[in-house]
Amino acid sequence: MSYLEYSVKSVPTGPRKILYLNWPLVLLVTAVACVGFLMLYSVAGGSFGRWAEPQGKRFALGFALMFMVAMIPIWFWRSMSAIAYSVSVILLLLVEFVGVVGMGAQRWIDLGFMRLQPSELMKVALVMMLAAYYDWLPARRTSHPVWVLVPVVMILFPTFMVLRQPDLGTALLLMTAGGGVMFLAGVHWAYFVAVIGAGVGLVTAVFQSRGTSWQLLEDYQFRRIDTFLDPASDPLGAGYHITQSKIALGSGGWTGRGFMQGTQSRLNFLPEKHTDFIFTTLAEELGFIGGFSLLVLYALIIVFCVVTALSTRDRFAQLLTLGLAVNFFLYFAVNMSMVMGLAPVVGVPLPLVSYGGSAMLVLLIAFGLVQSAHVHRPR
Amino acid sequence: MTRTPLRPLARILHARAHGQNPDVIERENIRLRHEEMQDRDRARAESRLLVLAMVFFCAFLVVSARMGILATSEPVEPVARAQGAQIAMQRADIVDRDGRLLATNFETHALYAQPPQMVDPEGAARRLAEIFPDLDADRLLRDFTGDRKFLWIKRRISPEQKQAVHDLGEPGLLFGPREMRLYPNGRLAAHVLGGAGFGKEGVTAAEVIGVAGVERQFDDWLRDPANGGRPLELALDLTVQAAAEEVLAGGMRLMNAKGATSILMDVRTGEVISVVSLPDFDPNDRPRPPTEGEPADSPLFNRAVQGVYELGSTFKIFTTAQAIDLGLVRPDTIIDTRGPLRWGRFAITDFRHYGNSMDVTKVITKSSNIGTARIAQMIGAERQRAFLDSLGMLDPTPFEITEAAGGQPLLPPNWSELSAMTISYGHGLSTTAMHLAAGYAAIANGGQYVSPTILKQSGPQLGPRVMSEEAAAASRAMLRATVTEGTASFGEVPGYAVGGKTGTADKPKARGGGYYDDKVIATFAAIFPSHDPKYVLVVTLDEPVDTSGAEPRRTAGWTAVPVAAELIARVAPLLGLRPQVEPRSTPDITLTSN
Repeated sequence: MSYLEYSVKSVPTGPRKILYLNWPLVLLVTAVACVGFLMLYSVAGGSFGRWAEPQGKRFALGFALMFMVAMIPIWFWRSMSAIAYSVSVILLLLVEFVGVVGMGAQRWIDLGFMRLQPSELMKVALVMMLAAYYDWLPARRTSHPVWVLVPVVMILFPTFMVLRQPDLGTALLLMTAGGGVMFLAGVHWAYFVAVIGAGVGLVTAVFQSRGTSWQLLEDYQFRRIDTFLDPASDPLGAGYHITQSKIALGSGGWTGRGFMQGTQSRLNFLPEKHTDFIFTTLAEELGFIGGFSLLVLYALIIVFCVVTALSTRDRFAQLLTLGLAVNFFLYFAVNMSMVMGLAPVVGVPLPLVSYGGSAMLVLLIAFGLVQSAHVHRPR
Repeated sequence: MTRTPLRPLARILHARAHGQNPDVIERENIRLRHEEMQDRDRARAESRLLVLAMVFFCAFLVVSARMGILATSEPVEPVARAQGAQIAMQRADIVDRDGRLLATNFETHALYAQPPQMVDPEGAARRLAEIFPDLDADRLLRDFTGDRKFLWIKRRISPEQKQAVHDLGEPGLLFGPREMRLYPNGRLAAHVLGGAGFGKEGVTAAEVIGVAGVERQFDDWLRDPANGGRPLELALDLTVQAAAEEVLAGGMRLMNAKGATSILMDVRTGEVISVVSLPDFDPNDRPRPPTEGEPADSPLFNRAVQGVYELGSTFKIFTTAQAIDLGLVRPDTIIDTRGPLRWGRFAITDFRHYGNSMDVTKVITKSSNIGTARIAQMIGAERQRAFLDSLGMLDPTPFEITEAAGGQPLLPPNWSELSAMTISYGHGLSTTAMHLAAGYAAIANGGQYVSPTILKQSGPQLGPRVMSEEAAAASRAMLRATVTEGTASFGEVPGYAVGGKTGTADKPKARGGGYYDDKVIATFAAIFPSHDPKYVLVVTLDEPVDTSGAEPRRTAGWTAVPVAAELIARVAPLLGLRPQVEPRSTPDITLTSN
């Protein structure tokens, strides 16, 4: 059901909207961000100025943006979907030409006051675009091959652009989140089975070909995959981060060594301790209890997003909220798996906690969209 | 799916009959249908959401379980798996017969750059050029600032250089472990060892492959992990090799030769105790093969196994040995040596005229071409060819270094009777010094062929018999006589009873057209001690000239023989031979006491 079909009379207007926000979600987001500040303060060796303060400023900015986005009706954002998507694509193309190279990959556009990572923007824009698409598409056409092909192209094009930067982690996230929205929109399950089956088949074929006459990859590429899949085989090279973070988690134990008492991160064992690997510091200092609590906070955020999705009858709002939830879920699940050696190391930050501007702002805007969907839901 | 019609006729008619608006019925039905569709869509969406929720839940469980496992695990320091070390120590060492190191591996580092990770490419380029003066700072800077994501800077760097680069603190400059082949003795036995280079190259390791010599010949064996780090044991004796190289280098200088080779071989096992080819090179820094000029002038050229020359009068002993073996002559048979011996348009002459006839022993000691040619006539071309074939003179030697396969003897196109006559005194058949050593070993060990080998043997490796014991003994006596009273009188080394035969062959001009008058290959093939020979020594000098006398002397007796004698005097004690008084030959007349 589209917003054109329901009466908007029951939607709150003006400042009253604030009352109707999804307040548990606001509080949860703030709580997670505060965990982030604490950890950044700890990682910097008890210094606010180094990472925690800039992170706090960015959170304040993002928090304000979240409220602004939440106040604007969801049907406005629906009409903005195509534009947001196009702008993100253009920015991704721009990054190819004017992007700043950092850490071996070309991901940023320098805006002067901050470095913008268009691939982060794309994570939200893609979900918006797909939600709007399925809102527009009559339900009976959802599984028609032609109408399946359109969103597939919409997903694969930015994925390919991101892969070229190269940023495997974001590319996988984009693809999975896009696929998630398609799944939720009700595309026939046979498509997913086919794609997953083909993927598994391809990977199996590549691995089966190893050592045979029809080997599909060169030996060195296989060795790279080996290290990628099993970083422990190269503990001083590719597996360095993983090894160190496993040690950190192990030394944290159940209750942790205490706030500001972590050794691994304090002694500079981890070069990316304040960004992608900040969870190791948390797990070492606050132990399993701390890590699990954070996980529960994340899970609750997902739950409240789902609550919003279930309470609205607007298809766009539903798909958007759930798509953003999937996105958020992928963020922390992939990051934690990566840190704990369950998944290969791909650059995915811990949402709302890791130091970094683009991801923080984009996430808060995304939560603003969820709030907007919540406030402007037809009752 | 059956659909209820939006305007069911029965109801419409009924409604009309009662004066109601039939459109109300249609609207109601539309609303019902929409609600039904919405319910279906909703049910589907909810089932999809349920699937997703289960995925979330599973992931949540897995992540928290993992967290719990890690939290309860004891932190363990990482242990590098043997991968790197395994690659680094893959190639086996090469040792001499007493286990002394000839080739081993050395851990070093390669320096490479990943420009995208560089903090200060300009400074890095400048300071790298200071550390490595052979690098060009501008070129490095171009490489660092260009599109390249990876480049090698230096293949091998020393620990000091590594530290200096490390001190730059540039994260874009990285080191990769390298295994390097090291020849601790430098030039010693360079031609045998050959050398090694890098094959496939990676950041963490590079393949070391043999490029020449035993390194190439046994490349597979050396790299085979199944050998469990066992070294390759060569027959060489390091001390003998060192002494031989020193003496030969001195002899080469003294005799103004442009090249020299010596082979010392055990006559029973075929083990080559020492093989020298000069000029030589350092296998640690193997020179590039020459692209122009004579390959034989390159230090890489192994004269002992690649230098195919007519070896002259040293061959005569094979002729007489065969004739004695066949029963055609005895050492005291008188041979007609009137000269010149004409055969068609060809005339065979002697270097000096010794009379119209002499016995077979004298033919050898005085080195008479005419006498040998006459004996060859008795043998005939066919039998001579077969005999030389049994001595391995017609094929490359089986000596186990790559280059030996290139030592293909040059045979006469048509083995005529004239060929037989010239070959009998060492012209018309070109072989390597290694062939000659193998042939002399057969005479020395009592008539059995041994193939020369570079690998340490556990016992005698005598091959098929090529001549009778008696023929071999008679030949040894003649070789001894050549030293005591013949052309090789400088070859006498007191206590070691050297026997041997000289050979001086004119060098053929490079592009055909006969021989040089003033360029010779002087060879001395010796056995010692001749009453019970243990070793064969072949010394060959390329273009020697002894200028100590009134006029230049080039014959082997003046050049190769003194060098060989010096060599024997030096190496015989190292080989464990004790100088001894020669057993007196049995007198011809038996004295009786009564």
